[in-house]
Amino acid sequence: MLNTLLPILLFAALALAVLGALKRFLMWRRGRPAKVEWLGGLMKMPRRYLVDLHHVVERDKYMSKTHVATAGGFVLSAVLAIAVHGFGLHNRILGFALLAATVLMFVGALFVAKRRRNPPSRLSKGPWMRLPKSLLMFSASFFIATLPVAGILPEGMGSWILGGVLALGVAWGVSELFLGMTWGGPMKHAFAGALHLAWHRRAERFGGGRSTGLKALDLDDEAAPLGVEKPTDFTWNQLLGFDACVQCGKCEAMCPAFAAGQPLNPKKLIQDMVIGLAGGNDAKFAGSPYPGKPLGEHSGGPHLPIVAREGQGLVDAETLWSCTTCRACVEECPMMIEHVDAIVDMRRHLTLERGATPNKGAEVLDNLIATDNPGGFAPGGRLNWAADLDLPLLSDKKQTDVLFWVGDGAFDMRNQRTLRAFVKILKAAKVDFAVLGLEERDSGDVARRLGDEATFQQLARRNIATLNQYKFKRIVSCDPHSFHVLKNEYGELGGNYEVLHHSTFIATLLAGQNIALGQHALAQQGAAITYHDPCYLGRYNGEYQAPRAVLKALGLEVKEMERSGFRSRCCGGGGGAPITDIPGKQRIPDMRMADIRETGAELVAVGCPQCTAMLEGVVAPRPEIKDIAELVAEALIEVPSEAKKSAARRETAEVN
Amino acid sequence: MSDIIRRDPRAEWIARNRLHPLHAAMQQQGTPSSWMGPNGVLRKNPHAVGFIGPNGIKRIDRSGAQQASGQRRAAAEAVQLPLHVVEQPSHIICVVPDMVGGRLSSHDKDLLGLARQLAGSGGAVLAVVFGEHKESAFDTAGVDRLLQIEGSEYAGYAPEQRLQALAAVERQFVPRHWLLPDSRSGGGELGRRLAASLRERPATRVWQVAGERCTGRAGAGREDINRPLPRLILASAECAEPVSETRHQALAVSLDNGVARCLPRIEDLGPVAVDPAAIPMAEAEFILSGGNGVQDWALFHKAAAALGATEGASRVAVDDGHMPRARQVGATGTWVTARVYLAVGISGAIQHLQGIGACDKVVAINLDPGCDMIKRADLSVIGDSSAILQALIELAEAYRNGGARDAA
Amino acid sequence: MPHNELNVVALVSVGAHPTSGRARRAEQDARAVELGLRLAGSKLQVVHAGDPHAEALRAYLGMGLDELAVLEQGAGADALPALGAYLSGAGAQLVLTGSQAETGEGSGMLPYLLAERLGWPLVVGLAEVERVEDGFAQVLQALPRGQRRRLRVRLPFLASVDNAAPVARQSAFGPARRGQLRAEDVVVVDDALLSEAQLQPARPRPKRLKVIKAKTGAERMKAATAKASGGTGQVLKDLPPQAGAEAILKLLVEEGVLR
Repeated sequence: MLNTLLPILLFAALALAVLGALKRFLMWRRGRPAKVEWLGGLMKMPRRYLVDLHHVVERDKYMSKTHVATAGGFVLSAVLAIAVHGFGLHNRILGFALLAATVLMFVGALFVAKRRRNPPSRLSKGPWMRLPKSLLMFSASFFIATLPVAGILPEGMGSWILGGVLALGVAWGVSELFLGMTWGGPMKHAFAGALHLAWHRRAERFGGGRSTGLKALDLDDEAAPLGVEKPTDFTWNQLLGFDACVQCGKCEAMCPAFAAGQPLNPKKLIQDMVIGLAGGNDAKFAGSPYPGKPLGEHSGGPHLPIVAREGQGLVDAETLWSCTTCRACVEECPMMIEHVDAIVDMRRHLTLERGATPNKGAEVLDNLIATDNPGGFAPGGRLNWAADLDLPLLSDKKQTDVLFWVGDGAFDMRNQRTLRAFVKILKAAKVDFAVLGLEERDSGDVARRLGDEATFQQLARRNIATLNQYKFKRIVSCDPHSFHVLKNEYGELGGNYEVLHHSTFIATLLAGQNIALGQHALAQQGAAITYHDPCYLGRYNGEYQAPRAVLKALGLEVKEMERSGFRSRCCGGGGGAPITDIPGKQRIPDMRMADIRETGAELVAVGCPQCTAMLEGVVAPRPEIKDIAELVAEALIEVPSEAKKSAARRETAEVN
Repeated sequence: MSDIIRRDPRAEWIARNRLHPLHAAMQQQGTPSSWMGPNGVLRKNPHAVGFIGPNGIKRIDRSGAQQASGQRRAAAEAVQLPLHVVEQPSHIICVVPDMVGGRLSSHDKDLLGLARQLAGSGGAVLAVVFGEHKESAFDTAGVDRLLQIEGSEYAGYAPEQRLQALAAVERQFVPRHWLLPDSRSGGGELGRRLAASLRERPATRVWQVAGERCTGRAGAGREDINRPLPRLILASAECAEPVSETRHQALAVSLDNGVARCLPRIEDLGPVAVDPAAIPMAEAEFILSGGNGVQDWALFHKAAAALGATEGASRVAVDDGHMPRARQVGATGTWVTARVYLAVGISGAIQHLQGIGACDKVVAINLDPGCDMIKRADLSVIGDSSAILQALIELAEAYRNGGARDAA
Repeated sequence: MPHNELNVVALVSVGAHPTSGRARRAEQDARAVELGLRLAGSKLQVVHAGDPHAEALRAYLGMGLDELAVLEQGAGADALPALGAYLSGAGAQLVLTGSQAETGEGSGMLPYLLAERLGWPLVVGLAEVERVEDGFAQVLQALPRGQRRRLRVRLPFLASVDNAAPVARQSAFGPARRGQLRAEDVVVVDDALLSEAQLQPARPRPKRLKVIKAKTGAERMKAATAKASGGTGQVLKDLPPQAGAEAILKLLVEEGVLR
């Protein structure tokens, strides 16, 4: 009986699954067109899955092994089951192989079940609680059904009842694992995830690459939507990416805004996009809601605005403005979903079409347009901080080795200390450098993260035009935000430069023995220090080593925070978050300061004016905050007399 | 007061020294012994010279010793300034002061100073005042003629009726210049209405008058406009030094013909109660700002109400939820321009100090004498903020009550 | 809103940013547009007299206007005749303007002259229109220090707004790009002022010194020493709260902020 029932079940399920896949595919294709490598992507998919994705998943060893067993077992057993039971290839070897595969899958599923017994809050419940049972049922049913094939049990063994029970088990397993894959069950992640990997919007991320710059809007095309108003305004592969979410909640666990009680949960946001894709409301969402926003009140559809102009839409604007664009969620996501891109896309619509940038956002954008800096300071005062430093101007020199990109920190009295310290280092190292002075403008970082692509592009194009007039080898900046934008986001607009963060540059100076450092006073006292990785330096640009190397050269021992390196917690200063200022239960910098205090450090080294400002905003008593440039400048051994002496000696030698 | 005669060598010396600046003031006490007659001849009253000595005999002591001791206390009192008399004015400079609260404001006094300058020796400054006033110092402010226009129709907000009256003034006095304060307290509006109805092109926001030209701010204040002095001038505060060295007649004059009552097209329904906390901070001229060191926020609000101050807060106080975000002062909040900024328990983060850079006087109440706010403050009181605020509330109330009695 | 029937016209100019001087939407004019949008919604008419190609005008369109009428004239022209002629034919019941322009003379006379020319009442410093009925509007007028006065005024009327009016909404790129700048030809009259007056960069006005008119050496000495001690702040330590409060009160009274 099973011999007739199983093929029917399998092929019916497969046919329905293909139908569902087609339906789902058409659903994604409602999105706007995007250029993808159709076949090439599919060809590269297994490697992306087995190598690139595995690197991310491997951070959680338990889950990684469990997933290898379960998913590997499932793929093997599904293929073999179709061969053996579907096509009736009752080969003994195949039978044994299928048995082994189901056992593997069963073991994996047991671990899945174990984790589901007391799941952490980041995991979604609901249908996901059913998944281990389905996995167990699938593997067990096929195991038993395959026993006769392998010749362990005689053919035709068992009664009708047993056969019936077995058929039910197979039906359950098959419908969860085949139908559920394309009709919206938990297994959807496997189907959508695989295609998402194939047609990912940032293919550069695979093979060890890095792609973190936001993608430009084409403002010349007046028909193209300015950002994303409704789900169908996303590109289709973005929609596909949302569908790949496994709801593991790693993003939620890392999100600083969620931890601070601001109304954002990256996982929920992605699931809301899935709801928008298909239409419906969020009542059935089985994970943590946005803090302070109960489930069931929001709904949407593919052609409905995501953020309603009046009343409740799919997502509230505050949710989108809570994000600090720290990319912790993207870094953690085992499905390589691009949360930040989606958030900025939706912000673009709010800013460019509705003019609804909250709080000080509108003022900051107006200032950027009118004065090229977010504070609205007179542009002529951009170089006032260096009035006594006699900085070489690139407009005089026309060419230089290092272009020191000052950034808008030039207007901030606190940051001026950092800038002056860095100038001291540049001078001590006798670097051939120059600044743009009054020709410099805001890099456009804040405007872009606030969704004002038009202002960003305007600033960027003007900066590029200025930079194109001159010759320089590299740009060095003390501001990771400018650094990132210049390095990764100007390229699309025609500006390709070698850009370094000042910590990287100082590290190369040290390596080349261009500056001499003594032991830092704190090192002599044996004080403990720690280092806070700025998001735009670390996660965005992968620079974790250089700042640490510099601190080591100072004789300072870094006591690492629990969350450091690629898991560093944001200071709360990115993405315009201090400007849009969405209230939460606590403040992100306070949480970060708690992380810092935990190490017992007396001082925290930073490399970003935003981080400095945010962390210094924490009420004293607290560890001191100093930029790496300041620390280096303090321990700098200047050898002017010796240098002069040797120069003088050389001169006399020449005379003789 | 003892009867013992005490000599005051300094006063005696002043009495002898006719070139001393206080000489005239000392001599003018009581009946003057000599004065300038109407025909320019010095007249003396011989009876007024000298004094009655202790034995009932009149003594004349030219050393000044006796005279000074008798007038010592009087000399310390108000110095009588010389009176500037304009009998027949060659021209009239008409000033319409704001009279905020019924008194000449400092802006009005500056304006009168400018008017005085324009009037020269032969002209007269005519001040036009609407309704009741409480001012007693028109003479020292430089008013030669005072026109008080009274009537219920001028009460409250009645710009159109006032314009009618000014038109009557124009007809009767034909002033060479009209001067109004370019202020938000009424002068700026009335002046422009007058300009429109007289079809005169005014010079506005004038801050300097030099000869026949004047300079005023133009546009959004990034430019100055320099032009010939027009008939109608709307002047900014501090456009000229107020009158300080002369006294003027402040002779009351009146309009020969009554002013026609116009049918008001704008009806004043009276002032609306505004919560001081709702006043935009950038506009406020007195801000009471609270920070991390404020323990008793109820008391803080009470103090703001008692002092009539607009409330502000440091970032920390806002973050902690004690104050709304809109009340945050600083580089990341609102940049304020208050005349007085009273910072309670604010240590003075650099962003905060940037935000109060434009404030005139900063007062700090803090426990920590070493904090940055104290370094910025013009006056700092080190101590428990609650106790000081409490004392301040009581003092302010006492001052108000005293002040009210004074005015009554 | 009961005002939807109201025919509102807002007059706008090209402003200049206070620190950079770059062209932008004028702050007060934008507030006039904001008030107009709240009163009349999309029916609001917005008019500018000047160059129809000024990019800064798009910032007004970005507030959600479909079009903006531009009475085309050159830089030195007088806006009054053109606007007066336009308004007498526009059938407006309420005309909103800023208090003064951010460029040029900025005398703030325009609303007064327009009102005089049209024979309409003028409300200065309009903060809010509370209601409109029976040909009258009940409005709130802004007074210094955030105070308000309620007025009843006959329609049609002209109103100028200052910084007490509601803050202008953000100007968005999309609507700014889509909106139309509709140029209209008008008779151009040159402004006579520019022939006799010069604009020059603003000179900073020195802060008035406290002039000490000391009659005696002692007074001069006292004044001079008092000034010397005013360099840094006075710090009162270890005093009873009462004494500290008295010192503060004295300063408040001196500064005239305690009323």
